[in-house]
Amino acid sequence: MLIPRKYLSLAAAAVLLILSLAVLSYSVARRSETGFLRKMVLEAAAPVEDAVNISLGAVDDAWKRYIFLVGIGDENRRLRRENTALSEQLNRYREGYLEGIRLQKLLDLRDGLSKRVVTARVVDHSRASLFKTILINKGTADGLRVGFPVLSEKGVVGRIIETAWNASQVLLLIDGNSNIDGLIQRSRAQGVLQGAGSAGCSLKYISRAEEVLPGDVVLSSGLAGIFPKGLLLGVVTGASRTGEGLFQKIDVAPAVDIGKLEEVLALIPDPGTGE
Amino acid sequence: MIYYLLLPVWLFLLVIVQITILDLVSFGWIEIEISVIVIIYAGFHFDALRGSILSLLIGFYLDCLTSTIFGLHMFLYMVIYGFSRIVRENAYAGKPGLIACFSGFCALLEGVAIVLLYRFVFGSNLLHEIPKILVPRAIAVGLLSPILFSLFQRFEVFLNVEDRRPDRRI
Repeated sequence: MLIPRKYLSLAAAAVLLILSLAVLSYSVARRSETGFLRKMVLEAAAPVEDAVNISLGAVDDAWKRYIFLVGIGDENRRLRRENTALSEQLNRYREGYLEGIRLQKLLDLRDGLSKRVVTARVVDHSRASLFKTILINKGTADGLRVGFPVLSEKGVVGRIIETAWNASQVLLLIDGNSNIDGLIQRSRAQGVLQGAGSAGCSLKYISRAEEVLPGDVVLSSGLAGIFPKGLLLGVVTGASRTGEGLFQKIDVAPAVDIGKLEEVLALIPDPGTGE
Repeated sequence: MIYYLLLPVWLFLLVIVQITILDLVSFGWIEIEISVIVIIYAGFHFDALRGSILSLLIGFYLDCLTSTIFGLHMFLYMVIYGFSRIVRENAYAGKPGLIACFSGFCALLEGVAIVLLYRFVFGSNLLHEIPKILVPRAIAVGLLSPILFSLFQRFEVFLNVEDRRPDRRI
């Protein structure tokens, strides 16, 4: 035997380490379509995460509504229960009303876009992670593919990086791995909007000669072919020419409130144009 | 054999719990990364093959569900597992103080590695995330690790996968 039995498991561990490094190197070098195993994991995780989040929401509601009421008199309890029921009813109507408004806005956006769009619900969102991604409940079964842009009624959310049959992972525009070709609406100066994590985004490669002011609107330039031209990316919050180099340092607040995303639109490009 | 059959399911559930329930419990302020504690526990207690398969699998799940760079967690967890084995060979790995410090250090190291990768591969500066996200996460992992180690020990007895070798090296 080539490797002594004593060192066999250590050798296997070394092989696995090299394998993981190879997978990482390949993944950094080129982005491919989601593999079968990854699809399986996404597909299995999306409904579980959805169910867990819904159940936890219900437990949280029950805790808030009932546990604190223990020990109060019967009359008080009855009135509070009635009040809770009415509040619940009102809450449902209010929730339906707000959902209606949101969907109406999405519908308006949908009408305004010539491309085919798919409406999806946000299933999970890791808020405190270094990686800024969300999981949505639509996948290849609805025509979604890796690289397709994702929007909300307020602007660009990000792009799809993994797809399963009925779930997809979306890379948010605030992730450091996200780069979107953008332009400043007022001056038409073109750059690249890169994610900066919890700090929002930064607009890169804008010449120091360009005048950039806080409040300037940043739109997608449509250059890379992923995002159509003219979609709202964010608003400039600060620009500085103090550092060295040819370009300015421009901070951009995304137009979309990432923490409040509930429904999104995935854009399906026209097969003929490739856009 | 039962270990290899149950492992994918347990780890899948663990990752789901980590990215859903623990995120809600911490109100999205701190990422409670119990997966790192599991890897370190495996480094301290499991043999090389079992531990590395566990590290690779848990990294794979996290890469599928949260990571933006496929393979990053798999690689980092294999490295953390390797570090844990080195520590195990050179120190008594049963002390709560050592467990807490080492777990916190590994959580911080993992985060810094990701920040550096973003900096040098994608050109994105995430250094501001170190005090905001990474330090609280490392503290949380450090504080939780001794408690979770004792829980894992009971769970391990249930699965009957305990490594026969004692922790203390003479």
